[in-house]
Amino acid sequence: MVSTLTHNREESSPSSPPRPRRRRALGRYGGVVPYLVFLLIFLLIPAFSVLIGAFESNDGKPTLANLRLAFSGPYLHSFVASFELSIGSTIIAVVVGFVAALAVAATRGRPRALVQSSSSVLANTGGVPLAFAFIATLGNFGIVTKVLSSMGINLYAHGFSLYSVVGLIIVYQYFLIPVMILVMLGPIQNIRSAWVEAARSLGASKLRFWWSVGLPILSPAILSGTVVIFADAFAAYATAEALTSGTLPLVPIQIGSLISGNVAAGEGNLGNALGLGMIVVVALAATVYVLSQRRASRWLR
Amino acid sequence: MVTITPGGDGLHLRQAGIGRVFRAIVLIIVGAFFLIPILASARYSVLGLHGHLTLSAYRSLFADPSFRSSLWLSLQVAILTVILTGLLVIPTSIWVTVRIPKLRGLLDALSIVPLGVPSVVVVLGLLGAYHSILNLILTSPFILAPIYVMLALPYSYRTFDTAVRSLDVNTLVEASQSLGASWTRTLISVLLPNLRAGMIGALILAGAYALGEFVVASLLSFNTFPVFIVQIGLTAAAEAVAVSLVALLVAFIPLSLVTILGGGRSKNMRRSVGVTG
Repeated sequence: MVSTLTHNREESSPSSPPRPRRRRALGRYGGVVPYLVFLLIFLLIPAFSVLIGAFESNDGKPTLANLRLAFSGPYLHSFVASFELSIGSTIIAVVVGFVAALAVAATRGRPRALVQSSSSVLANTGGVPLAFAFIATLGNFGIVTKVLSSMGINLYAHGFSLYSVVGLIIVYQYFLIPVMILVMLGPIQNIRSAWVEAARSLGASKLRFWWSVGLPILSPAILSGTVVIFADAFAAYATAEALTSGTLPLVPIQIGSLISGNVAAGEGNLGNALGLGMIVVVALAATVYVLSQRRASRWLR
Repeated sequence: MVTITPGGDGLHLRQAGIGRVFRAIVLIIVGAFFLIPILASARYSVLGLHGHLTLSAYRSLFADPSFRSSLWLSLQVAILTVILTGLLVIPTSIWVTVRIPKLRGLLDALSIVPLGVPSVVVVLGLLGAYHSILNLILTSPFILAPIYVMLALPYSYRTFDTAVRSLDVNTLVEASQSLGASWTRTLISVLLPNLRAGMIGALILAGAYALGEFVVASLLSFNTFPVFIVQIGLTAAAEAVAVSLVALLVAFIPLSLVTILGGGRSKNMRRSVGVTG
């Protein structure tokens, strides 16, 4: 129906007088030119500059030295720390978020709407304010730290620190769990009661239903949630910067300090190599996401 | 009359083992995790470390001239971001749907590319690509607005595009034009009123992104509101916690609006997933 109209419109549109074909095509594509030029200036050219810079020495000759430096010594260590942080954050957020989404989906009416709206707020907020909220909670003099120490549990004496990878993993949950809840709520709500009844009438236990029916159906959504959360955690900068003042060596933090240090002196190309590494990691994650979305949409029809 | 909506009241999920006890335990634990930092901030901002009730943190915050100037700068940048988003995203999405549906997939894909390039890397690229004209374009804080428009595209473009998709735009255009309306008239009197919720949602998301963004502003050395919060955090902890609490609560207003306007449809929910940095 829609497609028929699309095809007919060209010929039947009464308001447009016949014009030469080429001019019409120009006019047609002209409408998207501003958008494409905008993306070119603010996204594609900068991304290209990072790509080129990564393979360029400080005097402009092609080299692999930047990449070699970016993936060795302290910089390799920052990739390892970033991976530890994002993998740890992702595992917790996926499991907790999934369980929370199950619990929320099974409740009626208002609480579900409340969780949905606050999840989308929290998933998009975070950043700087979050860091300070957690300092007041779990910092050296935070209220939870104090309450626990009055109960005889001294967190900081046992090696815990809010300003470490483990601390950041906890803080990141504040915006990652809501992402997982948002990703999972729709697919979980789409589980048909007929599937539950069918499994039950065939004698499946509740656990067996989730293992053999629920999880396989939800697996593409779980995978895409995992990837979104991983990319989100890997790229996050503001929270870590505000919380640790840049002392924790994560890839984004390293790039940030290279930028604020001295770009003109030519350290920028090491930054470009690190940046390329980040683009590759996040792009791989995004590819998995797109593929799993395509699979997920099969079940959502 | 019985209406069957899949997952409507979650009854069958309860039958599948998500019982009352399970739900209560999960919701209490997760709820506590999300409430405690907010309550702890509130307590800390009025009691400080010493336990005396005082509003001095808030008072010295509002007395700080850079509090007002940074907030004003962020507001200006956010307004500019909203205007630019409106001029760029809304016409493009409608145009591509009506005139060149072939390109729709391409633009859709392009709109999520910013998610794949971390904002630290975007700054790196901007500095690298334009360093020769750096002093000309990167000295005004308003350069932040187009960068935010781009970084917020995954949310703004997709939110608006979802609204366009749920409307039978081609039929509306056909009907409007066969009644003799011009393109501008069709856009203003027919399409935009029907797309109002999606439009407001997209613009609010872009504005909220601009208000909360830290990475780009901080690396380009502009004193926006989030940059101010971090700076004050280095010297005055109670003030930083107080202003963070205000910022978190204020963020709830526009984003709750989006959620209400966006309706509870699961498709919208999946698309409104965001990235924090």
